[in-house]
Amino acid sequence: MKYLRKIHRMFKLHRIFIKQDLKKLMEYKIDFLTGAIGMLLTQAINIFFISVIFARIPSLDGYSFEQIIFVYGFSLLPKAIDHLFFDNLWAIGYFIIRKGDFDKYLTRPVSTLFAVTVEKFQVDAFGELVVGILLLGYSIPRITVSISVLNVILFFVSIFFATFIYTGVKLITSSISFWTKQSGHIIYMFYMINDFAKYPTTIYNRAVKAVITYIVPFAFTAFFPASYFITGGNAWYNIGGTVVMSAVLMAVGIFVWNKGVSAYESAGS
Amino acid sequence: MIYVENLKKEFKKTIKDPGLRGSIKSFIKPKNEIITAVNDISFHVPKGEILGFIGPNGAGKSTVIKMLTGILTPSSGRCEINGQIPYKNRKNYVKEIGVVFGQRTQLWWDLALRETYSVLKEIYEVDDESFKKRMAFLNEVLELEDFITSPVRTLSLGQRMRADIAASLLHSPKVLFLDEPTIGLDVVVKDNIRKAIKQINSEENTTVILTTHDLQDVENLCDRIVMIDKGVKVFDGDISDLKRRFGQTRELRFVPENIDIMEKLDYKKEFKLSDDDLEIENNGVSVSVRFNSSKISVERMLNYTLSKTHVKDINVTDADIEEIIKGIYRSEVKLDA
Repeated sequence: MKYLRKIHRMFKLHRIFIKQDLKKLMEYKIDFLTGAIGMLLTQAINIFFISVIFARIPSLDGYSFEQIIFVYGFSLLPKAIDHLFFDNLWAIGYFIIRKGDFDKYLTRPVSTLFAVTVEKFQVDAFGELVVGILLLGYSIPRITVSISVLNVILFFVSIFFATFIYTGVKLITSSISFWTKQSGHIIYMFYMINDFAKYPTTIYNRAVKAVITYIVPFAFTAFFPASYFITGGNAWYNIGGTVVMSAVLMAVGIFVWNKGVSAYESAGS
Repeated sequence: MIYVENLKKEFKKTIKDPGLRGSIKSFIKPKNEIITAVNDISFHVPKGEILGFIGPNGAGKSTVIKMLTGILTPSSGRCEINGQIPYKNRKNYVKEIGVVFGQRTQLWWDLALRETYSVLKEIYEVDDESFKKRMAFLNEVLELEDFITSPVRTLSLGQRMRADIAASLLHSPKVLFLDEPTIGLDVVVKDNIRKAIKQINSEENTTVILTTHDLQDVENLCDRIVMIDKGVKVFDGDISDLKRRFGQTRELRFVPENIDIMEKLDYKKEFKLSDDDLEIENNGVSVSVRFNSSKISVERMLNYTLSKTHVKDINVTDADIEEIIKGIYRSEVKLDA
């Protein structure tokens, strides 16, 4: 009952801030349009490159063009959802800690992590979400994916946990700023590794493969779960791995965050 | 209500030589220095008191407030407020306090003010009934009506400060922390804010701790003051205490019938006073003599003056608090008195 009320409260707060960010979107139309067009161009260029490669070769390491598009589309969904709800972690790394603006979160009777993330709803992420869904819609009928109740459930489970792999990586790297005052570039460095996750890990050399599987496990946000849906094999590793990696990253992230909060030094005023 | 014992806060600071070379050197081999921002401060505040926390810039006032509000963890010592320790069980503790930092807003920049209060209502779990009553009350005290629909970013400083104070009071806190609540405000707004603080203090018996550089705040609001300098407590007591202990300076002002008579008055020689204890100002019409009343009594001063000259007007005044504090900041007054 207590938890239900808590969740209800969380949703209410989310609603208020989502409404605010949508309102802002109406106010700053040009800003939004520029962002959306830029994002679409980026995605269009990426897909164009994939199609250029496939115009030359029939398959990439055994994967067809449609299968690659499926992996790519899949990779965009958890990325977009994390982007939508947890974007304010970037601000933690870039200026909230350095400027001492973290003070205000500490005077509220809610978890600091919730207070920080709830106040921003990153509308730009809708672009990635839409492109991701379109790519899945294009590729699914063209590849052999068995659509069953179990697979639909597993699909949503893997998207959910994959999202928290992104969030976990951002959480750990942004928490570094509690000690160093600024860690925006560190977040960026680790976050950009997700670019490798859009393609089958089998095409990379051993070092890259090891990094994106075990160290910054972005391979579990796209290629592994997606390859389960493509091949139907190895559910325990492909989906289970996503769940485990996600849980581990979030646990470490929350731990480091809390350590960071007690090391927080504010700024002079 | 509030107990602070031997509170201490140290910061580690990296020392850098100037320039890029210094930065690189410090990156490779950092040299650290421990800075003690707050050193061994103790005080106690009973319920319902308004305590003024004063001291020059960089004295450590904000650091103390940040420790009391759970933002910073003390290096050593303890503080206890309402039987709770701020940095332990923070979430539970902050439900009972309100915090305003005059230098930066705690409100959400793009939200309309009304929406801000809806957010805070959810965060503090204020029920609908109390929320309505509380808003009506805060509206009356702080006059929010005119700008409640505007986004926070469009508010003027005075409006924003009132909005911030209202936000800190929404959940009816037992203790209110105000860090420079009147900074940068005009006289009228300052006055309104002081009235509001007073009203809330007297109606709800809210304990208030405020830091300020405006001594009018101190004189109008505070029951007691704690003064700190360089992280150390240098005074703790009420304002009359402060005046009694450090305000030996009195000012004798008079308008002589004939200003030329001044040549005959030689206070320095008569009382054998040094420049530190005596200061004379003659503007051609009136004369003011500031003197140390612990060295020479007011009576002797008056007798001597009146024996030498006829006056049209004469009075003796206390040194005002501003003078005293200026003296303490400049360390002219001995603090171990």
